[in-house]
Amino acid sequence: MNKAHARWVIYLTLGFALVWMLLPFSIEWRSLRPDIASLALFYWVLALPHRVGITTAFAVGIAQDLIEGAPLGLSSLGLMLATLLLLLSYQRIRQYDLLQQSLVVLVLLLLSAGIEQWLRNGVNVPVMPLEALVGLLCSTMCWIPVRAILRQSRRYYEVY
Amino acid sequence: MLSVVCLLSLFLLRDHPRLLAFQRGATDAVAVTAEIILAPVDGWNRLVQSFQSRAALQDEVFRLQQENRVLKGQTQRLVSLLSENARYKALLNSARDIEDELVAAQITSVSPDPARHMVMLDKGSIDGLREGQPVLGAEGLMGQIVMVGQHNSRAVLITDSAHALPVQVNRSGLRAIAEGSGRIDQLVIRHLAATTDIRVGDLLVTSGLGGRFPHGYPVARVTDVTISPGDAFAVVNAAPSSALDRGRFVLVVVRESADSIQPGSQL
Repeated sequence: MNKAHARWVIYLTLGFALVWMLLPFSIEWRSLRPDIASLALFYWVLALPHRVGITTAFAVGIAQDLIEGAPLGLSSLGLMLATLLLLLSYQRIRQYDLLQQSLVVLVLLLLSAGIEQWLRNGVNVPVMPLEALVGLLCSTMCWIPVRAILRQSRRYYEVY
Repeated sequence: MLSVVCLLSLFLLRDHPRLLAFQRGATDAVAVTAEIILAPVDGWNRLVQSFQSRAALQDEVFRLQQENRVLKGQTQRLVSLLSENARYKALLNSARDIEDELVAAQITSVSPDPARHMVMLDKGSIDGLREGQPVLGAEGLMGQIVMVGQHNSRAVLITDSAHALPVQVNRSGLRAIAEGSGRIDQLVIRHLAATTDIRVGDLLVTSGLGGRFPHGYPVARVTDVTISPGDAFAVVNAAPSSALDRGRFVLVVVRESADSIQPGSQL
C-alpha cells in the first residue's frame, strides 16, 4: 500500500458508492435513489484532477452497467463527457460556494442522463421514466453531504 | 478513444460472445456482493424467525395442512382431467403436451435501473437454467430469463416496457400480444379491432405461439376496455395475475427440449 498517495481511498469510496446501488429499494421508489457513484466520481475529479479522469469515469460507467445488467457502455459515455467538462473547468468550480456547486452538479447529471437516454433510444433499451428527474434532484441534494464525507476522508488519509 | 470503445460495445459488439460471457460472469459477482452486503439483514430476519412463538407456528402448520388437503383434492380431479385430455388429443392425432419440469428459485434483488423491470434469481446454469425460459409465480406467468450466470440469473418481468408476449383470451380463444407498460401493475394489449369480443374480467393465458412460453399459463386479467368511436383499435389494459412486486419465490420452467427453443434477440 503506497502511503504517500493513498490512492486506494479513491477506489474504495467509489466501490462503496457503487455498492449503494445494490441496496434493496422498493420497485416504486427506486427512481428516487440518489446516484452516489456519479457524485463520488465528480468529487474526486474536482479534488484530484491529476489522478481521476476520463478512464476512471469509463470504469465507473461500465461497473454501473454490469450492476444494472444493461448493455456495456450505456452509462459510460455521459459520465465521460461530464468528467471532461469538470477537467476543463475544475479551477473555477472549486471556487464556487456549495449551492453553486450543487447547481453545476445538477447540470452535469442532467447532461449524462440525457446522453444515456439518447443511447438507450439507439440500442432499444427502455428510456427512463419522468420520475427519474426527481431522482436527479435527490442526487443533487446529496452533493453537500457526499462532498463533506469525501473531503474528510481525503484529508484524513492524505490522498493527493 | 474510450468513447469509441463505448459506442463500439453498444452498437456493433453487443452480441459478441466474449462480452456476453463477461456480463454473465458479472451477474454472479454482483449477486455475491449483494449477498454479502445483505447478510446482516438476512441474519437478523432468521433470528427473529427462530424466536417466533410456538402458537404462531402451530397456526401456520394448521393453515398449511388445510391448504394441502384442498390442493390434494383438486389434484385428484386434475389427474383424471389430464388423462382424459390426453385421450382426446390422441383421438385428434395432435402432439402431446410436454411435461413441464420446474425449478424453484428465489428473487434476490431488483435491478436498480428505474426504467427496467428486472430481477435477480438465485439459480443459474448449473441448475439447468437457460436464456429464454419462462418464470412463473404462484398465480401466473411472471417473466423470462434473459441472462444466466453460473449460480445466478437475471429475469425480465412481463411488465418491462421492452417485453411483449403472445396471449389468448381464455373465454373466446382470441389471440393477441400483451406488451409491458413500464408500470408494475399494467399490461397493454394493442392493435385489437374496436369490434373485437373482449370484456373486462377476461383471463388472458399464454397462447404458446412463438414457442417461447408454453401454452395455458395465466398471464393477466383485463381491467378496462376503452372503445372510442372513430378509432380503429380498442385500448385494452390488463393487470398481471401474479403480484410482480410481492413475494420472493418463483418457478422456472426447465424443459427437456430446451435446445429446441430458438434464442431470440437479447433484451
